[in-house]
Amino acid sequence: GKNEYDLLIIGGGSGGLACAKEAAKFGRKVAVLDYVEPSPQGTKWGLGGTCVNVGCIPKKLMHQAALLGSAIKDAQHYGWNIAQPVHHTWSVMAQAVQNYVKSLNWGHRVQLQDKKVKYFNMKGSFSDPHTIRGLTKAGKETIVTAENIVIATGGRPKYPMHIAGALEYGITSDDLFWLKESPGKTLTPFVFNVSLECAGFLTGIGLETTVMMRSIPLRGFDQQMASLVTEHMESYGTKFLKRCFPTKVEKTESNRLQVTWKNTDLRTEITDSFDTVMWAVGRAPDTETLNLETVGVKTNSETGKIIVDASEATSVPHIYAVGDITEGRPELTPTAIAAGKLLAQRLFGQSSELMDYDNVPTTVFTPLEYGCVGLSEEAAVQCYGSDNIEVYHAYYKPLEFTVAERDAAQCYMKMVCLRERDQRILGLHFIGPNAGEVIQGFALGIKCGATYPQLMKTIGIHPTCAEEITKLHITKGSGLDATVTGC
Amino acid sequence: FCGDKDAEGRSWCPDCVTAEPVVRRELHNMPDESVFIYCLVGDRAYWKDPNNEFRKNLKLTGVPTLLKYGTPQKLVEEECFKAELVRMLFTED
Repeated sequence: GKNEYDLLIIGGGSGGLACAKEAAKFGRKVAVLDYVEPSPQGTKWGLGGTCVNVGCIPKKLMHQAALLGSAIKDAQHYGWNIAQPVHHTWSVMAQAVQNYVKSLNWGHRVQLQDKKVKYFNMKGSFSDPHTIRGLTKAGKETIVTAENIVIATGGRPKYPMHIAGALEYGITSDDLFWLKESPGKTLTPFVFNVSLECAGFLTGIGLETTVMMRSIPLRGFDQQMASLVTEHMESYGTKFLKRCFPTKVEKTESNRLQVTWKNTDLRTEITDSFDTVMWAVGRAPDTETLNLETVGVKTNSETGKIIVDASEATSVPHIYAVGDITEGRPELTPTAIAAGKLLAQRLFGQSSELMDYDNVPTTVFTPLEYGCVGLSEEAAVQCYGSDNIEVYHAYYKPLEFTVAERDAAQCYMKMVCLRERDQRILGLHFIGPNAGEVIQGFALGIKCGATYPQLMKTIGIHPTCAEEITKLHITKGSGLDATVTGC
Repeated sequence: FCGDKDAEGRSWCPDCVTAEPVVRRELHNMPDESVFIYCLVGDRAYWKDPNNEFRKNLKLTGVPTLLKYGTPQKLVEEECFKAELVRMLFTED
């Protein structure tokens, strides 16, 4: 018979909702299935996906809470009379953040309803290429058929299952943002952006925080910038245990967590107790219960992510995938949203525009933020050869830090350009306050193929940190001191 | 929340006039133990005052507003004209 819906989307996150709302604009019959399997600790949330509930949004708000703490300290230098020390109450922040997230959940519900997108709070799985079986929490089953299906189920944090006690006693970012009480003294083992960002704001609000890493921080990012970020965090108060990995987690009599770890250098075994252990060992694609094998949707054997082509199509006709679930794509909200929208436009709007995944800007919201767009220095060297690229760099001091007597040792920027012909800018990296705001505008320039001479012709806005980008002229190759002097 | 009504029972707020029958028709969808409070927010002048108690204490931004007290769930102005949205507010968790 005829399929009930023109488009069915499994997963109501950034990618799924963007795709649904766009498809509805074309007057199509669209349905969204969203279901949040509670975390091992029991945390669950509403419509909107990772970004809204346990990702970008709560993280940035808590990062802001920490920044305000630093601002309060700086304020005294600027003449404000504030009794020190100032204390932070977790529950006040958490409740405000959680309320905001809930208003976003509601906002999405209203939008879907308004655009006549049918919403099912059910866990979906494939029965056949056009049929999805939806299961409610109570176990009630609904069968839905659709002409086109988009898988946008995203990912969930992994647990290091080989470590004893990891699952019973540890939490992940899924739980951190929904804690009603302060996490207290926290350990976050292994290092993906999430753990650095969380460790950063936990330190900022006054909690004793330790990051444990086996090897390199921020894998996939420019490593020079990554080490400056962690260096700053160390001077900011976060403890780092380098070249260490945990071996077990146990509960003590006083209800704290005792963690044992090994140091690969010293070959010693150490223990310490914490209130919270938050694992940040990476995210796993949420495909297990989808029944992909039944319909033949191919996944990458190593990562488990769904393999898609440039048009987000899977190995099965009429089945597509967008967002974190797809192999080889950045795990970012804006790319999921853009990909979802373009997919809907291609399916129903007679468009042929494909998603461009090149030069996607991003920012790590650690206490001193790191924003970047384009290639890392390592990637540029690998792609073009070190003889064919030029790296311009500078250490600078934000004006606001001067009066506040803040250390700016890690405030640094670098730009990687091609040496030959027009000297096109391949990558831009910036560590400093408001890095995301700084990099956003330059992303446009790089998208348009901006060159070093064009950048030099761009006048800076004074006094800002961003203007230093327009003045970059010392190359790494020259070996000259790259510290910016005052105006 | 609606604007005050005159002697003939008509509110000064035209959107409230439109929304009221829609909301009343959906009232039977509310959960059993819930309490529906119908609140008048004063005359036009009081409502327009940026310091009025409804704006300050309940953070209302427009009338009509349908608010599930204690949650971020609410419907404002034209959203209240839509029966499905009102029904969703009454029946959702």
